[in-house]
Amino acid sequence: MSVPVKEVPFAGTVPSPQKENEGMITGSWRTRRPILDCDKCTDCQICWISCPDSSINLSDDGLTFNLKYCKGCGICLEVCPVGAISLVPELDFED
Amino acid sequence: MTSEKLFEESGLKQITVWARGVYENKEARDVVVALTEAAAQEGKYVQAWENYVDLPDRIYVPVRAYGKISDQEIESRYVYENETPDIVALTEETLVKGVDILAGIKPETVLVVNTKRPAEYLYKFLKKGTENLAKIVTVDANSLAKSIITLSGAEGATDASGIGKGIGAALAAAIVKATGIVRFESLLKVVENKNAAQKAFEKAVVVEVKTLVRAG
Repeated sequence: MSVPVKEVPFAGTVPSPQKENEGMITGSWRTRRPILDCDKCTDCQICWISCPDSSINLSDDGLTFNLKYCKGCGICLEVCPVGAISLVPELDFED
Repeated sequence: MTSEKLFEESGLKQITVWARGVYENKEARDVVVALTEAAAQEGKYVQAWENYVDLPDRIYVPVRAYGKISDQEIESRYVYENETPDIVALTEETLVKGVDILAGIKPETVLVVNTKRPAEYLYKFLKKGTENLAKIVTVDANSLAKSIITLSGAEGATDASGIGKGIGAALAAAIVKATGIVRFESLLKVVENKNAAQKAFEKAVVVEVKTLVRAG
């Protein structure tokens, strides 16, 4: 599939995914769930940049995780400079 | 022959093992290979294979490995998936949540889970298909052995790390304890990690589903 050069966005950046594929719900892959400690969070948004599945949403109240697609890979925990994110075993939650 | 009748072979037992892609892929394979190898040594007809439709090269993706054990020659040998399993095993506890592990199970099916949690707690997450479930077996295989993460043995290649070296040995022993599908002595001859298999055989907790009460 070729795209004309003029249509390629600057630096190859593309918007976050806007469409959902119901055959590819990856939330069931997760063994550990990310939990944000809002008191420690400095709102630097490095986790939002780093999340490979775009499963971190920015909102006025702070960060939220899109658990429908989060695979629990833990990259957000690794990149967080203040240690505000922790991974909790998924079965500790009943929902 | 319709697809519903495909597995109506008397004496055929189907084993489905669910695991997480890459890091427990070998363990799922080890469970079915160890059980079928032990059954073959007892003179039974066996098959063991992995589901490649699950795309097992993605980390954490739910993947399946299958085994068939029968007293008679297996006729449905080219069927790719176990549509009506008799034994379902999970190498990782979170699979009870969000994955339809009990799809198509036969009456008197046994579920074996690698977990520290009690069967009562896991039962809460099983929403569908529990009417055919007879027993839930819990065994803390992670405390008995370590998961072997390797691509050796994947896609039909020779497994250099050995069958049943990790938690697979413990899970296979728990299956044998609950179902008696092969003799435990036969299994011990096959698996590498005999210590884990022995301990899992002693420690596995078998709970009858009818004694569990659905909370809420």
